[in-house]
Amino acid sequence: MKKLLAIALAALMSVSMVACGGGTSSSAPAASTASGSGSTAAAADGEKTVIKFANYALLENGYTEFWEGVKAGFEEKYPQYEIEWVTAPYGEIVNQVINQAGGGDKPDMIFGESSWIPTLQDAGLTIPVSEIFDQAYLDKFDPSVMDACKVNSEVYGLPMYSCTFMLYYNKDLFEQAGLDPNAPPTTYDEMLTMAEKLSTLTTADGNKVYPFGQTTASVAISGSAINSMVYNFGGTVLDENGQLATDNQGFKDAITMLQTLDEKGYNPQNAKLKDLRQLFATGQLAMYYDQSWGFNGVLSINPDAANFTASAKPLSGGEGNGAAMLQAHILAYMDNGEERKEGCRLLTEYLITEEVLKDYMTNITPAYPVIEDMKDMELNPVLEGATGATDNVINTPSIPMLNDLNLELCTLAQNVTVSDTDVDTAIEQFNSAAQAYVG
Amino acid sequence: MQTAAAKKEPRLKLNKKRGDQLFSAALVLPTLLITTVFILVPVIDSVIKSFLDFRVRNIISGEPGQWNNFENYTRLFQGGKLLPAIGVTLAFVVGVVLAQFVLGMALALILNSNVKCARFIRSIMMMPWVVPTIISALIWMWIFQPQYGLLKYFVSVITGGAVNDFAILNNPDTALLGVAIAALWKQIPLTTLLLLSGLQNVPEDMLEAATIDGASRTKKFFAIVIPYMKSVISIVVSMAIIENFKQFPLIWTMTGGGPNGSTTTLAILSYREAFVSNNLGSGAAVTTIWMLLMIVVIFVYNRIFRKEDMD
Repeated sequence: MKKLLAIALAALMSVSMVACGGGTSSSAPAASTASGSGSTAAAADGEKTVIKFANYALLENGYTEFWEGVKAGFEEKYPQYEIEWVTAPYGEIVNQVINQAGGGDKPDMIFGESSWIPTLQDAGLTIPVSEIFDQAYLDKFDPSVMDACKVNSEVYGLPMYSCTFMLYYNKDLFEQAGLDPNAPPTTYDEMLTMAEKLSTLTTADGNKVYPFGQTTASVAISGSAINSMVYNFGGTVLDENGQLATDNQGFKDAITMLQTLDEKGYNPQNAKLKDLRQLFATGQLAMYYDQSWGFNGVLSINPDAANFTASAKPLSGGEGNGAAMLQAHILAYMDNGEERKEGCRLLTEYLITEEVLKDYMTNITPAYPVIEDMKDMELNPVLEGATGATDNVINTPSIPMLNDLNLELCTLAQNVTVSDTDVDTAIEQFNSAAQAYVG
Repeated sequence: MQTAAAKKEPRLKLNKKRGDQLFSAALVLPTLLITTVFILVPVIDSVIKSFLDFRVRNIISGEPGQWNNFENYTRLFQGGKLLPAIGVTLAFVVGVVLAQFVLGMALALILNSNVKCARFIRSIMMMPWVVPTIISALIWMWIFQPQYGLLKYFVSVITGGAVNDFAILNNPDTALLGVAIAALWKQIPLTTLLLLSGLQNVPEDMLEAATIDGASRTKKFFAIVIPYMKSVISIVVSMAIIENFKQFPLIWTMTGGGPNGSTTTLAILSYREAFVSNNLGSGAAVTTIWMLLMIVVIFVYNRIFRKEDMD
């Protein structure tokens, strides 16, 4: 009897295993098909069509309430639709979408950054926005921002709002250093002069105050920030065809500036943007480069930061004119049938309006509007000093391995800072490593 | 008139040996299935993909990968990242496993020596092992944070403010040590517990006899304790080698492989190739090399251990 029972249990386990194993390849697409047809059938029965929306911001401080409000408002206005969130942390959301899509369950929309578009397009995860929206609607968007979302002349993500890497500075620390809090630096030379005074400051509890912050940690967004700094100096990393183009003075000047900042102890070494935000919020950093919406991270650490923070345009250095890299938060779309594409269209047209975004952009995420209908909208006061920054921007050429290139830029920055390699050798090593990611 | 028993169909009779064999096979079947479906098939699939141009778009579109003439391997060897990654992996594994064993054994000996509150200490000591690896990484990142971290504060206080920018994770020469400290903090408790259980199984009469014969503590430790613990030590060290060979979340969270590639192990390189570059074929090539290296290390380890076996 015991033997029979044992065999029965073993057989049950085996059958369960086979059933589980088969699920990954055969049942997932079946489930997806069922879900897709279910949506259609459901709609025919007067039930709701589900829009699967991949959005990392749901998990971030300060953003949850806004996005839940969008869901509630949209579902109230369009009761035939229901938004279903797909969430993962910022650094993992693309992998989450890839895994889900690989299993046959593609989300309908992704909220992300313009720098993600080449990767998403190369992976076959986005469709051109022209398949969702009519030309009249697309014509309302700022053409220069739309250019930042193009791959092979086709727009693959619709911008919600834009910014550049801009300078945030602490007016109180400027005053303490005897500097005019209403006259931030406009060039790297001015910044170095001011930094000398700022570097003598300490916080109330004796901690060092860093004069200037530029992120160089090993994350792709730090690479974008370094690329933007190269533009400040009039240099390039890639040419317009997406080929490596670092043999220029601006590129060398930018990397040399990173080394100078490190040698003088002005820039916190190997810091992520979130480290810089933490230091800035706690009065340990006098100025730093960030995307405009990074200020929300500062506010979430220190709500009083609004009282001492001001912004300024990106600095110019060498032969450069202070141009910077354009950044945008975007919505990218996947093809899950006409009905769900229509839901995405309605949701987007509901979302990118002054009515929905005004409070968000004024109080939560400082950024610049990109659609004609919102051009007269009141901006977040912290952006006042950087007004016009988005008029002097450069779009990075789209290459599928942009993330890798950005990580190599971080390695280059670390090479001339924490590894003390000379600039020419470090650039040579960068060129050798980066060549594998272009062309 | 036939009885009820006589009316029954004759039962299929197996001899005892045959029956036992079938019974054993039935019990082994689930394990075989699990191993095949979840280990063997993915490993073979990964090795095959390492020879293909296989990217994320292949998964999305369902198109098979294309044979690319060993390009994944040649690119890795020519790219100058593979050999440093192998070096970093081996340095990390050897360093952490050695330190883990020595410190774990020291703690186990202390706990086995009738120290007061041994049970309490044992319970407290297990806490780092219970903490998820990602949380451990975040805790140690905060401790090591160069501008506002706890370690920086202590170093600053101890040196009277002379060293104000101590940053273990920012220096390519010390970053791996920083990650290793976090790994040790997490892994030493289990090592200690397993070694302690081994220590408690060393026969007292052997130790007493050696004491009567005048053996020193050191002599007893190396001549009796260690040989009796051989099987436990073998398991503990094997587990530590495997755990640290595949260590990913701790390193990825704490340094992302930086600064300047100084903590890029094969696990980090594999992730970067597969999920940052979205080149799954190249990621599979790193994984294949990684797997071969691990097989060699475990094989060598087992050979060494077998040679020293007193049995």
